[in-house]
Amino acid sequence: MIWVETIINGVLYGGLYGLLGVGLALAVGVMRVVNLSHGEFIVLSAFLGVSLVRVVPWLHPLALLLPVAVIAFCLGFGLQAVLINRVVTRPDPFAGILLTFGVAVVMRNLMVEIYGADPRHLQAGHLAQASAGFGGLHVGVLPLLILALSVALFTALQLVLTRTRFGRIVRATADHRDVVRLMGVNPGRVYNLVMGLSLALASVAGMLLAIRASFTPYSGVERLLVAFEVVVLGGLGTFWGAMLGGITLGVAELVGLRLDPNAGPLYAHLLFLVGVLLRPNGLFRART
Amino acid sequence: MTQIRWRALQAVAGLGTRRPGRVYRWSIVAVCVLAVIVAPWVIGEGAQRFLSEAMLMLAMAQMWNLLAGYAGLVSMGQQVFVGLGAYGLFFASISLKVAPFWVLPLAPLLCAAVAAIVALFMFRLREAYFAIGTWVFSEVVSLLISKTERLGGERGVGLPTARLVDPRWLEPLTFWISAAIAVASVFGTYALLRSRVGLGLMTVRDNDVAAASIGVDVWRNRFIAFVIAAAGCGLAGAVSFTATLYVAPGFAFDPNWVVAMMIIVIIGGIGTLEGPILGVIIYFALRETLTVVFGLSAGWYLIGLGMVAIAAILFEPDGLWPLVRGRLGGDWLSVRREPPTPPRIAAATAAAAGVRSSPHGLGATPGDR
Repeated sequence: MIWVETIINGVLYGGLYGLLGVGLALAVGVMRVVNLSHGEFIVLSAFLGVSLVRVVPWLHPLALLLPVAVIAFCLGFGLQAVLINRVVTRPDPFAGILLTFGVAVVMRNLMVEIYGADPRHLQAGHLAQASAGFGGLHVGVLPLLILALSVALFTALQLVLTRTRFGRIVRATADHRDVVRLMGVNPGRVYNLVMGLSLALASVAGMLLAIRASFTPYSGVERLLVAFEVVVLGGLGTFWGAMLGGITLGVAELVGLRLDPNAGPLYAHLLFLVGVLLRPNGLFRART
Repeated sequence: MTQIRWRALQAVAGLGTRRPGRVYRWSIVAVCVLAVIVAPWVIGEGAQRFLSEAMLMLAMAQMWNLLAGYAGLVSMGQQVFVGLGAYGLFFASISLKVAPFWVLPLAPLLCAAVAAIVALFMFRLREAYFAIGTWVFSEVVSLLISKTERLGGERGVGLPTARLVDPRWLEPLTFWISAAIAVASVFGTYALLRSRVGLGLMTVRDNDVAAASIGVDVWRNRFIAFVIAAAGCGLAGAVSFTATLYVAPGFAFDPNWVVAMMIIVIIGGIGTLEGPILGVIIYFALRETLTVVFGLSAGWYLIGLGMVAIAAILFEPDGLWPLVRGRLGGDWLSVRREPPTPPRIAAATAAAAGVRSSPHGLGATPGDR
């Protein structure tokens, strides 16, 4: 029974991991730039959440998801407009990753200087302890809520990209950056919006993860690696691939922790390496 | 080999354009060697330690430059070899009960072996995927060592065998070895790039389709570069941790190693051999200015360096070396080859087809890719 519970918890945790990765998958798919500061933005949104809780202590942290997501959207828009758009058209494929890595170094150390290196945690009150029982199994209410929210966001993203005019423009830009110009689309502006959306999704994941696990300014590296592993494992062409990748990693991590309590994310990383070894060809189709 | 060494010396003493006599060149080399040998008695212990650190950092940056600037492999997990080199040296020295310097060659050998195995599956990943794949590998090794109590676990291990070295000689020996590693990293990379492998690497970097069409083995050339870079980082890492007499996973596999390598190479000039030298000077000058003169914390100097690196990528993607080059009389260590003169063409047609490489890494020759 304990194993069933572990696997259910892994699935719930994995939904969150999927959310960590889907923003990155969106940015990679549309702009072909792996944003190495993705993890730093995830941690930054958690810090923003902590700061906002201090300003409005009477509001539940889950109610702060929206304002933090709006801030993250603006930051992403600005990051793309001011920095990444300058290198995205270069023939050199490394300019983007080196640039965003520089951004990550600056952000990480700024967060250390501003917030200090102590581990933080986002309090969710009674909700964090509440659990629901189904036939002898105990599952936390909060993880269930988080999974539901992840699924809702995934569905919304999928609908926006497949059913709306904006989504069609994004997909067209991803496929042919130069051709959409002929149709009156400015690829730079599409990129700004997509990066904003990518980081808004990351911020939701960052806030939710901060409720479930403590974080420090240095957690960005770990978050980025998880997000990236989700993208690579799930590179199946749809965002549901990212969700499946996240769930696989979540289950691997929790089962690993059950077998070996001080393993940390070791088993998730190992699963990723094995996945890369076995399915290298399935890894590069991370498109929208 | 003599030929290669001769060319290297020619490059450093001749400063590219002038062609002074043999005696002049050799005397410059002799003065440099002598300066390094007597330095420990002239400069203080602090300066020795500082210079050792800078020279080891130069070696690591040069290895990263070989990968990113010439082989088209951006590795974000190069710190794994720094750490493995250190752990390899510590455990070889402790288990064999010999002074650490005697088992120094084992560190690069271990790293080369690990790199050869890792390359087999990491090379399936390209570009950013390779970058993060190597990073994940580094995290895995770090977590595995943290969990293994026999390797010291998270607390790390000391180096008791350092007592086998006369304490008066410990600092000077580290200094000399660091200097030798730095020089070897620069001229070794130079020799490698002038060789067939290096030509192949640059051909692939500049135009991989054309390179493959004239029969350049992309995989093999990259494999050689990756293994050499791993060995170089392992050697530098081993010496670096010998100086501190203590190694722990948090320090050995710190991503800040690769952050430093990357920033040095980008500031100095990616895809040039002189770039990392200039980059190291700027990196340490900035660090000392910000932390010693202005008394800022380590965090602020990393913020400053990160911003300089961002500015470099945006405005000077070739780094600062191309700006300085003109004032110093051309490239010191040019790996560019002149087109062959008519009698040599017949022999070199195949090789010359793809070797008009640009000296630039980022934003290479316009129009390719």
